[in-house]
Order: sequence, then structure tokens, then C-alpha cells
Amino acid sequence: MSEFQREAQVVKSELEKILDRADKLGASYSDVNYQRYDSEFIRVENRALKSYSPSRLSGVGIRVVVKGAVGFASTSDLSRKGLETTLDNAIKSAKSLKSRGKALSESKINRADVKLSIKVDPFDISPEEKVSITLDANKASWISDEVKNTQTYLGCEKDYRLFRSSEGADVSVEKTAVGLVHTTAARVNGVMEGFRDSESMCAGFEFIKSRDWNSFSEEISELAIEAAGSKTPPPGTYPVVVNPVVIGLVLHEAFGHASEGDFVYTGQSVLHNKLGVQLAGESVTIIDEGVIEGGYFLPYDDEGTKKGKTVIVEEGILKGYIHDRNSSGQFGVELTGNGRAQDFENVPIVRQTNYYMQPRDYKFEELIEDIDYGIYLRKGGSGGQVNVGMGTFTFGIGPSKVIRKGELAETVRGVVISGLILETLKTIDAVGRDFEIRTTVFGGCGKKGQFARTGMGGPHIRVREMTVGGR
Amino acid sequence: MELAELAVRKALSLGASEAEAYVRRAKTIRVEGAEEIEHLKTVKSSGIGLRVALGKRIAMYSTSILDEGEIEEAVARAVKIAKVSPEDPHWKHMNRNFGKSPAEGYYDKTLETLDYQEIVEKFVSAINIVKDYDKRLSLGSNSLDIGIGNISIANSYNESCERKETQVALLISTKAREAGMESSGNVSQQKRFWEEIDFEETAVGAAERSLKFLKAKPIPSGKMPVIIRNKVFPSILGALLVGPINADWVQKGRSPLADKLGAQIASEDINIVDDGLMHGGLRTRPFDDEGHPTQITPIVEEGVLKNFLYDTYTALKDDVESTGNASRNYSQMTPQPSPHNFILKPGEATAEDIIQETRQGIYIVDTIGEWLSDPISGNLNATVTHGNLVKNGELTDPIKGVVLSGSFYELLKDGIELIGNDLINAGQYYSPTVKLTQLTIAGK
Repeated sequence: MSEFQREAQVVKSELEKILDRADKLGASYSDVNYQRYDSEFIRVENRALKSYSPSRLSGVGIRVVVKGAVGFASTSDLSRKGLETTLDNAIKSAKSLKSRGKALSESKINRADVKLSIKVDPFDISPEEKVSITLDANKASWISDEVKNTQTYLGCEKDYRLFRSSEGADVSVEKTAVGLVHTTAARVNGVMEGFRDSESMCAGFEFIKSRDWNSFSEEISELAIEAAGSKTPPPGTYPVVVNPVVIGLVLHEAFGHASEGDFVYTGQSVLHNKLGVQLAGESVTIIDEGVIEGGYFLPYDDEGTKKGKTVIVEEGILKGYIHDRNSSGQFGVELTGNGRAQDFENVPIVRQTNYYMQPRDYKFEELIEDIDYGIYLRKGGSGGQVNVGMGTFTFGIGPSKVIRKGELAETVRGVVISGLILETLKTIDAVGRDFEIRTTVFGGCGKKGQFARTGMGGPHIRVREMTVGGR
Repeated sequence: MELAELAVRKALSLGASEAEAYVRRAKTIRVEGAEEIEHLKTVKSSGIGLRVALGKRIAMYSTSILDEGEIEEAVARAVKIAKVSPEDPHWKHMNRNFGKSPAEGYYDKTLETLDYQEIVEKFVSAINIVKDYDKRLSLGSNSLDIGIGNISIANSYNESCERKETQVALLISTKAREAGMESSGNVSQQKRFWEEIDFEETAVGAAERSLKFLKAKPIPSGKMPVIIRNKVFPSILGALLVGPINADWVQKGRSPLADKLGAQIASEDINIVDDGLMHGGLRTRPFDDEGHPTQITPIVEEGVLKNFLYDTYTALKDDVESTGNASRNYSQMTPQPSPHNFILKPGEATAEDIIQETRQGIYIVDTIGEWLSDPISGNLNATVTHGNLVKNGELTDPIKGVVLSGSFYELLKDGIELIGNDLINAGQYYSPTVKLTQLTIAGK
């Protein structure tokens, strides 16, 4: 039994009492989410350790349904009095709302204790060793005078969650994740350009030890210098070939969010009322899956629902949405295991897990061979944003390549892509045979004031029309 | 004894030469819903951020658990980490200038006693306005957040100082559908005071936003004058200027403005100030996150770059006084310089005047991704989700899905043709409507 599991045993009986008390106070349903989260983030900038920030989070969120209305409250005070006051707040919150009929859908009652197996606990590794890995990677990135600023972060986190409900569900998940992110800013002929890349894995410290982080950061510096010495593409609309990291991000942001049940049932999403509609060519299949190599580890969601594999788009046709107990109740459909909360202070909402496009049969050379002039989006960039209602999206892309007469040509920097997702999907005309999924411990996806770790990816694909703006 | 002081004492007793503790307790009430309320939640959160120094070796530690036992453990761990940390040659000392500026208007006492009933009623009233407004409309994800925060800071030079602050944020999101066309509209307000939130204005604004953009579509690429609405330009200003005037960026060679202090970087009409004292300002506070008094810092005066923003560490490195801009981001506990209320000072023209005097151009109502602009190169980039063509002084065809791009520094110098008088905030950034002489539009 892990340290976190032992701690949870202590609060478990108190949580049981809270569920009983909720019942007595008139709740038709109640659940509790206990969380313990530890993290360490080490930041090295310009060859010097800037911060070593360990942090710890622990607390309980209580959700109740009273006459069809949902109330929620949370606390870090795990004493009986603290938990009781929090429950009272949740009940009071629910009672101040008018009934809205059926609040949550039926759920299968699961009981499970899942722990991601790891070889080396990152919290057993000494601070000295972690600092030295981070410092070394940072120092290695100073490959020439053109490098002006570098930042390296090493991150480790362990997240334990215990879910119990008045219906009898009892599910705990413990997972560990580690990663390293490096950014180099380089200046060439007065032009400053930064490039950032990261690798993370739901695993123990063995993942950190298995990688050569010095060459990782050197390569980032090489790309930053190459980008700083290159031009921005002229703004316009071009055919593009998209790498797995970028297509994962675009899918997650521009399409994934639109497929989230809460955005759909409220009618906000551009995918509202589009089940069964051919949205893309037959080569496009899109999946949301809880446990997959390279992705974030999400065997159960924060409502105790098992997260399997959900088909969103099959051969271009919209097949389904992803749901939590609220949105599946609204639709009257099966749960998909996507009710996720940032932490114990938040109510679960519909979130993606590992969202990706399935590979098909094109080789990379075949994707670019008949492009006369286009752009290869070969590296992830600074992130993106989407408006699910208007269907607009925009992303910053890392150092890219011009495709000229079927061949990769010069590097371009500062590429920003934008478009209308439903139109862009229709112009995907070839899907590659390779496949990559990534996750990160350095951030996540924001929605309704909550952050969540996710995984994303796919194969290389070709898009016939993409609007490109230069930064 | 106050927890912050207790932590500081404990750290000193364990051999730290300096220690600082930042304790935050907050209560948040949040209502979320679409046509109906989905839930109401009350969150009580807490956290302590510790910084200890052993000579020039620095370490941090934070935890959400505020009991004495946990804090003792936290302090011990921080001291242990400091011992193995390499020295920071630039470290001098922690903030020695504790105190409060005369800032006012950052705490709304009425929020202490506001009951759930009134919160729910107000929220429902806004939702009902949209429901009754037009049959083509439906509601999206709406939320109302009320936050009451209590922050206390102590370090080895000073006893703890404390501040309480409040914030209220309303977001109304609508969707319109008609004959195969669809559009959406998000309108939000963020204020310090409950009474300042205009529920009706927000709801009507969100309803109108969707309805007016049902027929929006991209336009061909080109260059043209661009009017940017007062609620949009603050984010652009924030994305492009806040990094470069951060002393940390300047010292690390990341800021394109590093050698421009005292230089004309903008036209004479441009005045930008960071105001920590503005009554009701979203980031108004008497002291910063190191306990240093806040102030009003001119950034650009008649186009001349006047100051960078400092915390104690960066100020001591440059041998100047901190501007009281230390800020702690919750996830990253090291204080960093960051603006309080960052303001482009308003001019004379009304937004109507600005539109009326424009023969041809576009009017930007809302954007996404303006934060993808590159503050190092100064390249502005934003994707328009809602805009209008302007023809002969009038707003005409709705536009979406085009991209604005241009050089922000060129715009500052001679590209801002008119500055409106309608100052408003998007978060902590404040700006009026502005008219830019010319920007590149990437469209069809």
C-alpha cells in the first residue's frame, strides 16, 4: 500500500459518515472526492537554478443533489467538523437552487483501486540529483553565441484520488507523471525567436533516466537558431502537412471541445444536431481513450465511471459525443467516462482524456509529393484558442518548413494557423501511417475555470486549405 | 501568532538567514449553468508559500494545508532544499520596505453577507433576459464567480501585513441559429464590487452579439484601417507590452525595449501607466505580494518610455527601488514583476465618432488568440471571431475567421490614429477603443 493509500484509509471512514449525513439532511444523492497531490517543479534559467518548488495539496470536495439541484463545497480541513461544515454548505447551495428535474444520469457502480505501476518513485530521488539533471540539460543548450536565454523545467507529480458515492461507488486512482520542458530564445541578425519543446510521461523517474536530456535541449537550441535566421511566410491560404503533435492539439482544441456533451446539449457547439453527418473524408476517424501508450493515465473519471474507448468520428461521420453524468442525463445516453475535475475544489465537468486521430496508410513522402507550394507544420508551438460557437480556431506553430514542388525547402518561423473547424475538416485529404500521442505535466487545458491534464496526437496528415498568418 | 509569522520564526530557528511566508485564504462562490443552473459551489481554499534563504541559497515550498504540524514540516523541507541549492550570485536580500499605499476600493464588504438566494436570483435574471430576447437564441456556458481573498505576508524584517480583496466576474454566453447559419456571443464583466456588475447590460450584450453575427464570414486578404473595440484592445496591449516592460525580461536580454528607457517608442498621444491605486481597479491593492507598497508607475509618457516594473529581486539587481509589482502566480511560487492595473490612457473621441469618421475599414468586436502575438519580435496576431466592415462611417457586413497581423512597435510609433474616451478593462488591462491606420488582414 502506498503512502497516499494509507492516508486515504484514515479519511475513508469520515467520508462514509459524510455520505450518511448527506442522506439524513435530504440529499437524494451525494459523492465525495478526496485528493492528495504532491508536485515538485525545478526551474533553471540561463545556467542557474531559479526555483525549486515543491507543493502539496490535499482536501475533499462534496457534491450533493437535493430535489434535483446540485450543490458543491470543498475544504482542506479534513477534521470531522471541517467536513460537516463543508457538507452543510453544499446542501445549502443545492437548496438555494430550484429543481431542474433529473440532475445526473444513471451510473454503473464501480469498485476499484488502480495504481499506475512505476519503477522509481520521483519523490525518492534526492533534490541534488534532480537539480543536476535540470542544470546539465540547461547548460548543454548553450551551443553558440546566438543563444540568448534558456529555461529548463523538470516536473514530477503524484496524484491520488478517491471517489465514493451514496450509490456505493468506491474508486481510487493513483498516478505519477514526470517530464522536462526546455525553451531556447535565440537572436540571429537582430531577430529574436524562441522555441519550446517538452517530453512527459505517466511513469516514474525511470523515464527521466532513460532519456538524453542534453541532446534534447541542444536540438531545441539548433531549431531556435534556425528559426530566428528564417523568414515568416506571407499571410494567405495554403495546403499544409501537419505533424502528430500539432494535429493532436488542433483536434483537441478545435474539434474535441466542440464534441464535449455540455457544449453540445446547451446548443453552443458547432457539432450540435450533427450526429450521423459526414463532417470529413472517409480517412478521418477520431477517438477519445482513457489509457493509451504515451498519453495521460485516466482509467476512471472523477465520477467513478470507467473510461474506455469512445469513437467520436468514424470514417468521417460524427458518431457520438463525450459525456459526464450531467450531460449524459440531458441526452439520455450512456456515460463515456469524461467527468473530470481539476482537483477536489472543482465539480467534474465534461473533459477530454486522450484525444487522437487514427492513422491510415500514407507515407510522409506521399503526403508532400504533390504540393506545389505549402507549409509543413513540423513542430508544436505556443498553444491555441478556439471559439466552439463560431467554430473558429487559431494556433501558434513552432519552426516550420516550406514545401516547394513536393519537397521540403527552407525553414519559416512565426507561423500562426487559423480557420473554421468544419470547413478545415473537409479539406483533410490524406492521413499518414505513423502515430504519436503525447501528454505533459507542464500545464493543461483550460475550460470553465478548470485545468486538466490530457493527452493528444495522431499521424501526419495533409490539409488542402489552411489560413496562415505570420507573427 | 499569525501563521505567516510563525513560519518565518520557525525557518529562522532552523538556520535560515532570511524567510518569507505568504498565506492566502480564499472563499469562492461559483454558479454555473446554461438554460438552467447546473450547480452552485462554495470553495474554501488555503495555501502557504514559503521562501527561505541561507545566505545566497534560496528555496521555496508551498502547501494547501494550514496547520502547525504541516507548516513545521514545510519549513524544514524548504531549509533542507536551500542547503543543497547552488548560490544565486545576484541575491541580496528580501523586501525590507513593508507598508501600505493609500489604495482604496478593492474590498466589497457587502459580499461577506450576500446570501445564495440573491446570487442565484441575479444570475437567473440575466439568463431570463436572454431567454426572452429572441427565439433564435439559446444559452451557452454561463457563470458567476464571487471571490473573497485574505492575504497575509511576513518576512524576517517585518511583521505580517494583511489585505482582503474581492472580485466578481459574470460571463454570459449565447448562441443564435437561423436557416442553417449560426453564431455565438460571449460577454463578460470583471469587477471588485458586486454593485458594479451590470447583469442586464451583460445579458443584452451577449444576446445582441450572437444575433448580429449570424451572417458573418471571412473577407479576402488585404490591408486596411482597423478599429479595435475597447474590450478587445486591452488584451492585445497586455500580450505585447507587459513582457517587454518587465524588469526581469530586461535584465535577461529578452526585452526588445531593454535599451529604450528615455527613448521615444510611441507617438506623443500615447500615455501608459501601471496604477496600483486606482479605485475599484481589478488589481488595486495597498501592497504587492512581497509586502512592498504599491504605486502609480508611468510606463510611457507622451510616447517616451519612462519605467520598467520591478519586484525586490530585480530592483536590487539594478540598484533601484522596487516599483511594488511583485506578484505570485499560484502555480509558480517565486514572485515575479507583474502589472497591477495596466492602462492606456483615454483620449477625446467617442467610439461613435471614430466609426463615423472612417470611410473604409473593419471594426473588431471580439478576437481569440491575441496572446499568440510575439512580444519579443512585436508581431501582433489575433483571429477575429466577430467584426464588421466599416463603409462610409457605418458598421456593415459581419466578419469572422480572418487574422489580424502587424508590427506592434510600428503601430505605437505612427499607427494609432485615434484614441477613444471609453476606457474599460479586460482583466487587469484597461484601454479605450482605438483606430489603427493600417493592418494586414489574412482572409480568404
